Amino acid sequence: MSVLKRLSKSKYFNTVLWIVILIIVWEIGATVVAATKRSPENILPHLSGIIESVVSKDTINGSQTAVQMVLENAKATISRALVGFGIGTALGFVLALFMSRFKTVEKIAFPYLMIIQMIPILGMAPLIFAITQDISKSRIIIAAILTFYPVATNTLAGFKAVEKEKHELMISYAASKFQLYTKTMIPSCIPYFFTGLKISAPMAITASILVDTLQGGIGLGCLLSQALKGAMSRYVFWQIVFLSAFIGIFSFLLMGIIEYVLCPYKRKGNKQEE
Amino acid sequence: MSEKALKRKKIDFNSVSSVLYPVLFGILIFILWECGVLNTVLKTDTNILPAPTRIAGIMSENSSKISENLSATMTVIIWGLIAGSFLGYMAAVFATRFPNFGKGALTVLSVFNAIPIVALAPVFNNWTKDVSSEASVRSTVAKILVVTVVCAASMSINAYRGLTELKPFSLDLMKSYAADNMTVFKKLRFHNSIPYIFTALKVSVPSSVITALVSEYFAEYRMGIGRQIRDNISIAQYSAGWAYIAVACLIGILMYIILIIFEGIFTKRHRK
Repeated sequence: MSVLKRLSKSKYFNTVLWIVILIIVWEIGATVVAATKRSPENILPHLSGIIESVVSKDTINGSQTAVQMVLENAKATISRALVGFGIGTALGFVLALFMSRFKTVEKIAFPYLMIIQMIPILGMAPLIFAITQDISKSRIIIAAILTFYPVATNTLAGFKAVEKEKHELMISYAASKFQLYTKTMIPSCIPYFFTGLKISAPMAITASILVDTLQGGIGLGCLLSQALKGAMSRYVFWQIVFLSAFIGIFSFLLMGIIEYVLCPYKRKGNKQEE
Repeated sequence: MSEKALKRKKIDFNSVSSVLYPVLFGILIFILWECGVLNTVLKTDTNILPAPTRIAGIMSENSSKISENLSATMTVIIWGLIAGSFLGYMAAVFATRFPNFGKGALTVLSVFNAIPIVALAPVFNNWTKDVSSEASVRSTVAKILVVTVVCAASMSINAYRGLTELKPFSLDLMKSYAADNMTVFKKLRFHNSIPYIFTALKVSVPSSVITALVSEYFAEYRMGIGRQIRDNISIAQYSAGWAYIAVACLIGILMYIILIIFEGIFTKRHRK
């Protein structure tokens, strides 16, 4: 009994419990669907069926098995998302730096950063494609824009959150602007910077997959639309759904891990918050 | 920022320039765009990137078709937002009532937030096939469900914080009054959670707009602003595409402004 009680207080146990509940609900649903529908794999296949399709050795397009195909496309999608994510991060950080250094830049750019947040950039994907006429360029641009503004706004918030005392202490040391930034401002904005990255990493992935669907070729999005049209086994679709969910979640967690590795000084303080 | 500036009602150089600079910048971009300089920079013709006045003209020409699509998209956004926020709040209340078990649910729910919309939309399309024999109805339901999932996640996490991060000793005080759970919720937790509800909405309003637009791409029934953007561009009707994009941006901006106004009203009353 006491073991059960202790378990019920553990965070991980409860999370796992909920995942188990979800799996059970899914399987019940799949059983019902299998009994009533003609093609249950279109609506809700058994999880075992999806796993089976992952490990199956049957080729789908003559040369590749389902998993090989999905993974190959995933690699293309992720690598493009990464490029856009990298560019967006760099631009966002630099803009935040300029905004904190020069008041005029902040005054001009900040209202527009707020507006970008309100307008649906992903909805503009087809148009950016029309302007650039190049699918990979537009993918990178959209992923970059989506990464850019959370990074910029959060990093700027980080610069602003530096304690006044620290700032004044540095000035009393006669620190140059460069030293002020490298020694105090940038290190203390890092947690905020990572908050921005955590928001934008899944968005960059979503953007990359979405832009894929605009044109044929290689990428998870293309494969997704092909599988939806019934060009191949429906299980390819389910594999993509689960994989993209996994990539989205993983990209978020990965940013947390990178932050943990890069900012050892943050660990102690953070534990209390959690 | 702007609120504080209004309160002070002091028109010093600082507040003037913080309005003037961005406005001037906007006007500059507008002029460059209108005169075709942007086209030269981006190496596009005026067909793909039409001048703003032309886009406005097309918007007024097609106003009836635009408003039809607008109402379809707004239905999805509003219902999804309401349903998702309500469910998210209920999940947060549940997690507050049963801290250990419920916290696990919140963790799982927050993970849903990272699932790409692109993966959710087709799944919900499949699941709503039986809802109605009308393609338009079942597409709308599918789209609303996607928006619901997206909104529920952000609401549940923020509302949970609002319901649990109470002022020190306030809970102890309630206990010393022998207040039951319901009273604690009504008198303490709910009021404490109001600012957090708005924090959540500030995330979920823009994301519900974008989710609605993207799920329209995958919907069976061709309807809505997002679908029009895509379809018009795929048949090279770029000006019409721009008109719908302008509408989409206006939805996003207007909904955010309305939200800020509501926040002002509700949090002020809350403070009293």
